[in-house]
Amino acid sequence: MPPRPHAFFLEHRGRQCLAIFHAPAPATQARSAVLHVHAFAEEMNKARRMVALQARALAQAGHAVLLLDLMGCGDSSGDFGDADWDDWIADVLAGCDWLRQRVSAPLWLWGLRAGCLLSAAAAARLTPAADGMLLWQPPASGQMLLNQFLRLKAAGNLAEGQAKAVMADVRQRLAQGQGVEIAGYTMSAALAEGLARATVAPPQAPGHLIWLELTTRAEAGLSPAADKTLGAWRAAGWLTDSAVVNGPAFWQTTEIEDAPALLAATASAMDRAAPAVKQ
Amino acid sequence: MTVEHEVLNVLDEVLSLNGRAAAFDRSTPLLGAIPELDSMAVVGLITALEERFGIVVDDDDIDGQTFASVGALTDFVAGKLAA
Repeated sequence: MPPRPHAFFLEHRGRQCLAIFHAPAPATQARSAVLHVHAFAEEMNKARRMVALQARALAQAGHAVLLLDLMGCGDSSGDFGDADWDDWIADVLAGCDWLRQRVSAPLWLWGLRAGCLLSAAAAARLTPAADGMLLWQPPASGQMLLNQFLRLKAAGNLAEGQAKAVMADVRQRLAQGQGVEIAGYTMSAALAEGLARATVAPPQAPGHLIWLELTTRAEAGLSPAADKTLGAWRAAGWLTDSAVVNGPAFWQTTEIEDAPALLAATASAMDRAAPAVKQ
Repeated sequence: MTVEHEVLNVLDEVLSLNGRAAAFDRSTPLLGAIPELDSMAVVGLITALEERFGIVVDDDDIDGQTFASVGALTDFVAGKLAA
């Protein structure tokens, strides 16, 4: 029976970030310390279950896992509308610090979608450097993710046929430094700008990279764009392990769905990259 | 696999229809007829179509007409592929 996860608030910069720590079982030396960096807006909500399942599975396998709600997200303090990209990077770094102070094991950043972008940005600022990056469905770029999010505004106006005007208005507001309200989320211009500039570029100090994507197509390999990005990571010295597994895009499907193949692929990839510590 | 077949696959996955899309044909109405097809789902659909077909959907393309029926959506995708 694994130990129960420990929920607490990580005090940071006068704010409280909700954190959930899954201690490795048995409670002996952890084989890695993993910080989960969640997805953006509704994607985070829809992915909660898969992330919880994976966190538990990793803890069962001997990894320490910290789940952290970033500023203004989930149950953390602060308003989403006041958050910017740098705030979130700072939160990720605070999560890394927390883990490093308590767990003597290689540090991994585990991102989902926009969390992959944040993980890469934070890893670039980490000293000492992270040992590994576990990336679930990395977006081609932050700009692409931003476009997808902005579309929600247009999609809400589909019936009226005002989509183009709505999109132009949203982009203009952001360009002028104004926040915009989209699908119940207020997005600051600073956050939009940070997201637009974010990439999955490899941090300098190389380590292990696990890159996993999901598809429901029968036979699918990585996209040419993903292949190219992975090449850049390898050129920077990273040891890469990548796969496309069969399963639904659980961060955006209408119903909350499981992707057991992803759980299995993650477990075995982490097995290879972060071996058990000899007792 | 035809474009229509692939479009139905994407619809089924994004909207979590659990196989219901198999019974759709060109005339099947979408926007306004399928409760699962809300704003979030429309965006999810556009994203999935972009990634599945390797097409780019511009701001201008986001139009109620495109999502009116399976046929309209299929024709839209086919048009993008031919471009």
